[in-house]
Amino acid sequence: MAVRSRRELLRTAGALAVVGAGAGVPQVLATTSAAAATSKPGPLVATDPDLHLLRRLTFGPTPQSVAELKRMGRKKWLDHQLAPATIDDSACTDLIATRYPQTLLTIPQARAAIDAFSWDLMFQVGQATISRATWSKRQLFEVMVDFWSNHLNVTNPSDGVWDSRHHYDRVVIRKHALGRFEDMLVASATHPAMLAYLNNNESTKDAPNENYGRELLELHSVGVDGGYNEKDMYQSALIMTGFGTDYDTGQFLYSAEDHYTGPVKVMGFRRPNPTGSGGYDVGLAYVRYLANHPSTAQRIATKLCQRFVSDVPPPRLVKHLADVYLAHGTAIAPVLRELIGSASFLNSTGKKVRRPFEDLVATLRVLGYKPDASGTQGMQGLYWMSGDLGQTPLSWPQPNGYPDEASSWQSAGGVLARWNSHLSLAAHWWPSTLRQPELLTLLPTKLPATYGAFVDALASRLVFRHLTLAHRHAVLTFLDRSASDPVDSQITGWRLPYLVALILDTPYHALR
Amino acid sequence: MTTPTDLRPGTKECGCPDDTGGMSRRAFLAGATATGALAGLTSVGLSTRLAFASAPYTGDVLVVLSLRGGMDGLNVVVPHGDNDYLTQRPTIGIPTNALLNLDGMFGLHPAMVKLMPWWNDGRLGFVHAVGQDSPSRSHFDAMAEMERAAPGSGLRTGWLDRTLGLRAPGTAFQGCQIGSGMPADMFTGPSPELAMWSVDDFQLSGADNSAERARWSAALSALHDGAPHSLTAPVTTTMDALATTDALKTAGYVPDITDPNLAYPDTDLGKALTDVARLIKAGPQVGLQVAAVDYGDWDMHADMGLGNQPDTGWLPDHLAEFSGALAAFATDLGSKLADVTVITLTEFGRRVEENGSNGVDHGHGQAVLLLGGGVHGGHVHGVWPTLAPGALDDGDLKATTDYRALLAEILEKRCGASGVSQVFPGLGTERLGVVAQRT
Repeated sequence: MAVRSRRELLRTAGALAVVGAGAGVPQVLATTSAAAATSKPGPLVATDPDLHLLRRLTFGPTPQSVAELKRMGRKKWLDHQLAPATIDDSACTDLIATRYPQTLLTIPQARAAIDAFSWDLMFQVGQATISRATWSKRQLFEVMVDFWSNHLNVTNPSDGVWDSRHHYDRVVIRKHALGRFEDMLVASATHPAMLAYLNNNESTKDAPNENYGRELLELHSVGVDGGYNEKDMYQSALIMTGFGTDYDTGQFLYSAEDHYTGPVKVMGFRRPNPTGSGGYDVGLAYVRYLANHPSTAQRIATKLCQRFVSDVPPPRLVKHLADVYLAHGTAIAPVLRELIGSASFLNSTGKKVRRPFEDLVATLRVLGYKPDASGTQGMQGLYWMSGDLGQTPLSWPQPNGYPDEASSWQSAGGVLARWNSHLSLAAHWWPSTLRQPELLTLLPTKLPATYGAFVDALASRLVFRHLTLAHRHAVLTFLDRSASDPVDSQITGWRLPYLVALILDTPYHALR
Repeated sequence: MTTPTDLRPGTKECGCPDDTGGMSRRAFLAGATATGALAGLTSVGLSTRLAFASAPYTGDVLVVLSLRGGMDGLNVVVPHGDNDYLTQRPTIGIPTNALLNLDGMFGLHPAMVKLMPWWNDGRLGFVHAVGQDSPSRSHFDAMAEMERAAPGSGLRTGWLDRTLGLRAPGTAFQGCQIGSGMPADMFTGPSPELAMWSVDDFQLSGADNSAERARWSAALSALHDGAPHSLTAPVTTTMDALATTDALKTAGYVPDITDPNLAYPDTDLGKALTDVARLIKAGPQVGLQVAAVDYGDWDMHADMGLGNQPDTGWLPDHLAEFSGALAAFATDLGSKLADVTVITLTEFGRRVEENGSNGVDHGHGQAVLLLGGGVHGGHVHGVWPTLAPGALDDGDLKATTDYRALLAEILEKRCGASGVSQVFPGLGTERLGVVAQRT
C-alpha cells in the first residue's frame, strides 16, 4: 500500500511542527498527561489520545507500553519511536539471531546453507516477522516495515526468491523503513528479489518483459492515475532493461549488453541513453525521478492516511502530507510527524479495524505471551494460525500487497477464526509451547470481590477501559451472575479463559 | 524442487509440522460435536438479516476442483490414437489395450473406471489441449495467473471474486472454499467468501452444545451493539453461517449412496466433496453458488507408475481416489446433478516426453474434466494439436483452448452471467460448446 520515503530533510525550516514548542504544537502531542484510560464507562470507542496512539502506531497496547507512554509523554515517546536505534531492543534482536539465524545471511551464504529452491528460509522470514511485531520494542518501526513490505510487495513465500527474500526484508525494507523513500525504491530496483519477482531479470532490449516496468509506475510510485500512458509504461520497461541477477551467485547484476539504448521518455523524465554502460545510471536516475514525483507523493500520503487515519483519507491531510514529503526529499519521518500531529488523526478513533494479523499480534501482546523457551515450535504455530485467520504476513499473492480497508476483511470464516484464535490463546491450547502467564495474573493480586468489579478489572486490563453498561450487563449475563454476586471459582477458574476470549471478541479489541 | 505439495502456505498440506506439544490446530478447530439448533443463534443486537434469505440466483452450483501440482493430462485422457504418444513415453505410456476407450482417439486411464457410467450417459466430458495465454512453468506463477485469470490486465482480483461481484449479495455460503482454512486466490478481492475445513468444523470454539451456543450468541450479539458497520456486518454474516451449520449438524447427513463400492473415499477429498453435496442438497437455505476444493499432489517428477502396470503407482492411486470421490459425489447428488457443473483446473500439464525418473516434468497443455447435468458429455472436446515433434510448444502439448473460454461458457450458459467480459477481460467470444444452455 503505501510508499514510504524520507530524506534527510530538514531543508525546509519550520516543517517539523511536531515537536516544536508554541503555537505549532499539534493537538495530540500537546499534553503529556495521559487520561485515565480505565476510569468510567462511556462511548464505545475510547478517545483517550494515549491509547489511540498505541492502537494506531503499534501492534497493540500493553500495560507496559501504556505506562511507558504515560511516563515519557507522547512527544518524547514519538521521538524515540521515530529513531528506533535509540530504543534498546536487544531481547528481540537476540531472539531473531538465535532462533532464525539464517534470516541474517547474505544471498551467497543462504545459497550455500539451504537446499536449492527450498521454501524453508522464506517460512523463517514470515515467522521472524510475527516475532518482531509481537516482541520488538521498536513498534512504530515494525508497523512501518509491514506497511512498506506491502507497498513493495514481494510475495513471501514464492518461487524465484527462495534465496533472496530474507535479504530483501533486511536491506530494502528494514534498512529504509524510516528513512527516505527514494533510497528504498532504488534499493528495491537493484535487489534480486524484486527483479526476479517481477521478471525484470528476464527483460532484455530484444525481449523486454514489461512486468516490473509497469508495476514500478502503477504500484511502487505514481499510481495508475499518476499521469503516464501505455507508451510511458513501455519506455519504463526499456529503461530498466539490464537490471537483473547473476545466475551463478543470485546477486544483483547490471548487464550493459541487455540494456536498451536510445532516447527514452517517461512523463517528464528524458535521457538520450546512448550507451549500455551508461544505462545503470539512467535507470537509477529514473527511479529517483519517480520517487520524487508529485503523484508519488500523493499516493504515499494517501496510503499512509489509509493506514493510520481512515479508510477514506481526508483530502486536505493527504495534500498537506504530500507537500511535506516533497519538501523533505521523500523523507518519511517528517510525514509521519505531521500525520500524527493532525486533527484528522486525533479525531479518527474507531475509524480503523484491525486486520487479522494485527488482531493476532495485539492478542499475543495483551495476554503477555512470550516466545518458546527454546526452538521455534510455537512461533511456527503462530505462522500457521495467521494463515487460518487469512493473513499470513508477507504472503499476499499479488504485487499490490494486503489491502488495508475494512471492506476487504468481511469474511465469516475470518471472523470465526479470529474468535477461535482468542480462545485458543487465552486457554493456552495452541500453540502450546509459547510461554503464557497464568490468566489470573491479568487481574490485581488482591482479586476483586464481586463479579461486576472482576469484569471491570479484566476489561481494563485487556481493552484498557470499562465496558459500556449495556456491554457489561451482557458479559454478566454470559456468566449467569449479577454485578454484586461474590467472585467464585467459576470466574476465577474454568470459565476464565472463555471470559477473556469473549472480551477479546468485542469491538473494543477489534478496532485499531 | 523441494516445494511443498500444496503450494499455498498455511494449509494442511503445506508440509508444516503440527504442534505436537498439545492440541493440534486441526483438532482445535474441529472442537466437539455440535448438536444445536437454529433458534439459539438469532441475533439480539445485530441488524437482522435472515440466515436463509437467499439471493435470486437460479443458476448451476459451480464446483471448481483445483488439481494443484500440475496434473499430467496426457496419462489421464490418453491420446493413444496419436502415434507419437508411446514413442515419447516408452516407459510410462499406457498401452491402448489397458485404456478405457472413449472415442478411438482417446482412452481414459483405467484407474478412473468408476466414472465411466457418467461418460456413457453423457454427463461426463473432457477437453484436451487446454492452457493459459501466458504460460509459466513455475507452480506459483502459473497458479497465481490461472486464478487471477486476467493476463495482460492490471486486475488484482481472482476470477471467482469477480464472478460473485456481478451477482446480488447472497448468503455467507455464496462462495465457499471447502477443505481448507484459507480461500484460494481465485477468491481474492472484495466479494466475501467463506473458507472452512468442513461443515462440522465450522463452529465457535467453546460453544459446543446448544446451551453454550445460545450463551455465546447472545453475548456476542449484544457486545457488538453500537459498533461500526464494518464490524457488525461480518459478525452478522458469521452468526448466520454458524446458525446454518448448526442446523445442518442437527439434521445430520447421510450420503444418498446405496452401493458401498461407490461410497466416498475416507480422504480429505472425499470429505470435502461430501460437504459440497451436503450444502448443495440443503438448497437455497444455504445458498451455495460456487464451491472450490483443492486436490493436490500431482507434481509427479518421478515414479508416477509404469505403463505396463497401470493399476499400481502414484498416478493410478491418485486417480482412483479422485475418480472414486467424484463418482460418489455424482451418485450422492442424484437428480441434483442437473443443477451442478464440476470443472477441474490444474496450473499446467506436463512435458510430453518422459524424463529419466519414470516421471514427467512441468509442461503446458492440460486436460480438463467436466461433470454435470448440463455438460455435453461423452465427448473429448477441443482441437488436438498432435504430439508430432513439430507441433509441440517447446516440448510440451500446445494449448489450443484458453481455459477461460471454458469457464466463460459455463458462466454464460449455466450460471446466468451476462458480464463475462468483466470477469475475463480481453477474452474473445469463441466457445467450444461444452455445456448446454440452462433452461
